[in-house]
Amino acid sequence: MFIINCPYCGERDQTEFSCGGEAHIERPKQPTELSDDQWAEYLFMRKNIKGIQFERWNHAHGCRKWFNMVRDTSNDKIQAVYKMGEKPPVK
Amino acid sequence: MLNFNPPIEEEKKYNDLKIVEVEPTIKINLRSNKREFSTKIGKILSILPPNEANTSSGNESYSLLWLSPDEWLVYSNNNTKSLNDQIELENNLFNEISKLNQGAVTNVSDHWVMINLKGSKIFDLLAKSCPFNFKNFKKKGSVVQTVVNHVDVIIHNKDDNDLNLFVRRSFSEDLWLWINDSARFL
Repeated sequence: MFIINCPYCGERDQTEFSCGGEAHIERPKQPTELSDDQWAEYLFMRKNIKGIQFERWNHAHGCRKWFNMVRDTSNDKIQAVYKMGEKPPVK
Repeated sequence: MLNFNPPIEEEKKYNDLKIVEVEPTIKINLRSNKREFSTKIGKILSILPPNEANTSSGNESYSLLWLSPDEWLVYSNNNTKSLNDQIELENNLFNEISKLNQGAVTNVSDHWVMINLKGSKIFDLLAKSCPFNFKNFKKKGSVVQTVVNHVDVIIHNKDDNDLNLFVRRSFSEDLWLWINDSARFL
């Protein structure tokens, strides 16, 4: 259990949110030109690292808005929270 | 249309706690990110939609709750409103907003059920199964969307120790039973 600072509503309990997986994955501009392997790479393969990870989150039981989060998966420490379309504040 | 078959139809009293379903209440959901939206709402309802998160505005007839940066819920403060009042308000909003592509107007009168909780122990009751920290919520007019006993709710702090709680109709009976069960152990 941890507290997430929703960029719209403020601090709320984690149970109000749902995680939408890795963030900043760009959809290929010409999907028809990709091989099956490349398409599968885009569609299924995720980093799933132990450490700093960029994720999409949804405040499902609150304002129902999507936002991005930088989270350390080893200790659940949230480094930054930023709105959709914004650039990550940490590298 | 206004729902004249409320799902609960009960009023319960406990020590320092009174719970009652308030129906019929007009409830309309508004969505827009256009600039003219605020002035149009101001003209129709004589209330400006709040821009600050987790707040509300209101007058004698209606309350306007902030739900997200581009979404608000308006509901009538007295349950004496008739079906004609609702049709008139909905048509007014629809013609000024939806028809002119200024946003979306959705009638949710039958979607939400409004339960009024009064008394000094309301926050103790909700804290039994709600992850939200009510310490910062005591300000009059505060609004929060959260979960109570795993059920989605909107809570409006109307006055001191006076809350309006909105719950989806299909979950209302379940939440009503939970509230009454928990209130016995306060």
